[in-house]
Amino acid sequence: MQTFFLAVALGICFLVFLVLYRVVYGPGVFNRVAAISAVGTKTLIILLIVGFLYQRVDMFVDISIVYALLNFIGCVAVAKYLEMER
Amino acid sequence: MIYRGEDIIIRTISRMLIPFIQLYGLYVIMHGHYSPGGGFQGGVILGASLILLLLAYGYQDAKSRVPEKLLTVFSGVGVFIYAGTGFLCLVLLGNFLDYAMLAKILHTDAAHARSLGILSVEIGVGMAVMAVMVSIFLDISTGGVLPGEEEEKQKTAEEA
Repeated sequence: MQTFFLAVALGICFLVFLVLYRVVYGPGVFNRVAAISAVGTKTLIILLIVGFLYQRVDMFVDISIVYALLNFIGCVAVAKYLEMER
Repeated sequence: MIYRGEDIIIRTISRMLIPFIQLYGLYVIMHGHYSPGGGFQGGVILGASLILLLLAYGYQDAKSRVPEKLLTVFSGVGVFIYAGTGFLCLVLLGNFLDYAMLAKILHTDAAHARSLGILSVEIGVGMAVMAVMVSIFLDISTGGVLPGEEEEKQKTAEEA
């Protein structure tokens, strides 16, 4: 099971690198914001798999819940800032 | 194309999520001795829930929930709990923050007294951190002058 989850984690890391293309080259700021939010969701999964590999899932579940909350609040804050009149 | 209007989706999601975020923040404060967390981390999560309320509803609608005076009182009370526990241990003929001396008041053994002393300190830190996070957010987002105070200052200047 350990090697299977390790392979899954490396696959999701590869997907994160694919999304980073939009962060760097995204024309405009809306593409970059959506891409960063997608990176956040992948990070969540990688955290949980790392927790399973270290056999302390309960600790890493706490950390990933907090990261999901802060990712959401950060995206709402950036969206509110972009909505402001200039 | 930017839509300016009421954000029903964000308001509904915030209304559903904020109580659970606050409950989770309290859990993180209480279980700091075993799982990752503690006073500062739980205080940040509680502050983030109030910041989400301010972001979703705007300052004019949400200002009854986060009055500035109450935030100032909260931060002071948090520091008072922290320093108060330390001085209580000092009064009971121990060192500063020597929680084992609390066993005289609580009538338990030294290990339980230390655990409860650390818990009270974490609660104080959590309260202070929550109040300061929201206060900093209000200062930065409104530029130092709250939207209601400007009109009051102009009125008193015209009357005088």
